[in-house]
Amino acid sequence: MAALSFERVSYAYPGAARPALDGVDLEIEPGQLVLLVGGSGSGKSTLLRAALGLVPHFHGGELRGRVRVSGLDTREHRPGALARHVGLVFQDPESQLVMGRPDREAAFGLENLGYPAAEIAVRAREALAAVGAAGLAGRPAAALSGGEAQRVAIASVLAMGQPILLLDEPTSQLDPVAAEELLGLIVRINRDRGVTVVLAEHRTGRLFAEADRVIAMEDGRLTVDASPPVAARALATTAAWVLPPVTQAFARAGRTELPLTVRAARALVTAPPPAPPAPLPRADATAGVVKAHKRLGDVDALAGAATAFERGRVTALIGENGAGKTTLARAVCGLLALDRGRIEPVPARAGYVGQDPAHYLLHDTAREEVAYALRNLGVAAPERDRRVAEMLARLGLDGFGDRHPRDLSSGERQRLAIAAVTVMEPELLVLDEPTRGVDGLRKLALVEMARSLAADGTAVVVVTHDMDFAAEAADAVTSMAAGRVLSDRAPRTLLASGIFFVSQLGLALGRASQADAVALLTEPLEAAHV
Amino acid sequence: MKPLPAALVTGPPLLAAIAAWSPLWLAAATAGAALLLAAAPPPRRLYAVTAIGSGLIVFAINPFVSVQGLTVLWQGPHIPILDTQITVEELAYGAGAGMRVAASALAVAAFVRLADSDLLLRAFSRVAPRSAMIAALATRMLPALERDAAGIVTAARTRAARISAPRTAAGLLGPLLASSLERSLSVAEAMEARGYGGADRTRAPERATTRREWALAVLGACALTLVAGGLMVGATDFRYYDTLGDPWQAAAIAGATALLALVATAAAVVRWPR
Repeated sequence: MAALSFERVSYAYPGAARPALDGVDLEIEPGQLVLLVGGSGSGKSTLLRAALGLVPHFHGGELRGRVRVSGLDTREHRPGALARHVGLVFQDPESQLVMGRPDREAAFGLENLGYPAAEIAVRAREALAAVGAAGLAGRPAAALSGGEAQRVAIASVLAMGQPILLLDEPTSQLDPVAAEELLGLIVRINRDRGVTVVLAEHRTGRLFAEADRVIAMEDGRLTVDASPPVAARALATTAAWVLPPVTQAFARAGRTELPLTVRAARALVTAPPPAPPAPLPRADATAGVVKAHKRLGDVDALAGAATAFERGRVTALIGENGAGKTTLARAVCGLLALDRGRIEPVPARAGYVGQDPAHYLLHDTAREEVAYALRNLGVAAPERDRRVAEMLARLGLDGFGDRHPRDLSSGERQRLAIAAVTVMEPELLVLDEPTRGVDGLRKLALVEMARSLAADGTAVVVVTHDMDFAAEAADAVTSMAAGRVLSDRAPRTLLASGIFFVSQLGLALGRASQADAVALLTEPLEAAHV
Repeated sequence: MKPLPAALVTGPPLLAAIAAWSPLWLAAATAGAALLLAAAPPPRRLYAVTAIGSGLIVFAINPFVSVQGLTVLWQGPHIPILDTQITVEELAYGAGAGMRVAASALAVAAFVRLADSDLLLRAFSRVAPRSAMIAALATRMLPALERDAAGIVTAARTRAARISAPRTAAGLLGPLLASSLERSLSVAEAMEARGYGGADRTRAPERATTRREWALAVLGACALTLVAGGLMVGATDFRYYDTLGDPWQAAAIAGATALLALVATAAAVVRWPR
């Protein structure tokens, strides 16, 4: 019996013009590890929700066809009953925490499933430890960072120990070390315990080769369903941006071999070590912090941090969860007062796009949303309309001007929030985790946007855990730990030479970005290439 | 704090606010509930502003919608629908009603901030899962609202909005409500996805009741007995119309003072360092 089966399943959300799932036929055998890829709004999240019966029981709408979980028809069994067989980790960790403390959060599902009281505490504690969140057990859930909340959300589902595990972008807010640990854990759970895993993810670098099957979706339909090497070949020409960065580089270089892992790429190419990077020349600083200290609750979020953000450059601000990146970014934008230290220089106009795009949704249409800042600045109507249209087009939202912002998908909301701030043409623009929920194609657009803004003279700062994105977008890399700046405005080649905070191309080829990697793979360097 | 001691300490001011008429009892209930909220863990400001604001609105509106009382204080021009003859009795009744509203809201807010909402959810989820889910969502709503409000204000500030302008601030209320409803839906979905509402629910072992909680339970029980006794013997009664009664009755003074003393002691116990 299949673990999950979809028979000609079509589904439309209430009031939606087009179906979110369109004639999906799919069988997933017990013990398989399936990677689900596709653009924002392609139907991945809906497919996962349908597998737990949340579609249609919770969301309403019209479901055609049949979905079975361990043989149970989701039309006849509610999610509460199906939860014994399948666990789902949602995309947004903050919105799925039910209880006030992580240890209780991990216990919540076990209580619902009727586990004996003595067993609940042990399983909850084990699950928290497995995702590196044991130290968070008694903390208030409201005080958790995004990454911490994500670990707790995953632990709370792992604790329930269902035979089928569904995960919707589980690493979107985790730093590279935590993301790698978590994905390793998921693979172990699949391999050692035979748990069926279906994982939707935009960052495919770690899991593509590990999966038994890769399924690609577009407009609610399955476009590819094959083993990783076959899927890579099929996607290389149609949607290369869903492939691991190293595979993308080989595809772009026109190579016939498509390695799916760092190891496979190294076996194909012996890259000469890159020339040691020259330090970046210092440019005009638009904004900066000097000996910044800030205490948030019991934590020294900033403990003497000092750096600057330069005109015409994209700076990636990287570091582990809780390193103080967001605090520094908010302080430099004038949104947070420092306890000690100073902002110097102070930017004339700073724009900050935070981690939760919902906070930027104040109006009834996407167009009004983008126009809001310009109205506040007193920009005249014709000029305002022109800039709004230009910004919507730049972010790939030109068809969405009249849509209600809250009807947009999470990736579309993210881009709308960026448009709503960037339209002001700020001197300093901070994008805090801009790739959360954003697909590979849109990431490329974000890279282009960041670089073109920098070319226009803006100091652009991207706070990110996505090292591949940082390697593409950034000129300089500033890394933080424990409220301090560890390396200040290093060249982006740092992302090719680090140990953990490193792009996949850096690990495989010693080159940080796609352009550098493609250049390496296409140059006639007989000695270097095997 | 466990829900039972929290209910016992916030129950007496709530009961007095709902059932008493004497301005002294209502004042004691309002002050006591405010002390309890002040002693509770943050966030508190949004609760306090909402409660006191609601009370002030009731106080301000009553004289214009009530047509009672014999002691005329001011006679305004004729305006259709509104009563522009303001009497001392209407003002006094409005003050009492305002305190009733404020004290009720403050007491509920104090309970929300004092009671451990996880334990509340656990306690009721077996007998009334839907009600428990709504209660759990409600207890999270105001803290979540406060966080969302901070996020929305920050996002608006970075878009050159002047938040001090009343129109701008009022314009953020709709999105704030929409955000909190969206969040509530997500939490409800997450609860359902993890099997909430199924039969045979068990409970994880919980810690024992602390001495502080026992002390609060005893103080709350005493205060509850006092309010119930006051209601039964008529010590909480008062006449507003047609002319005001004398609020300074010995029983009312003694009862209200005792209620305030007990609740203030409970607030001090809540704040007492561990």
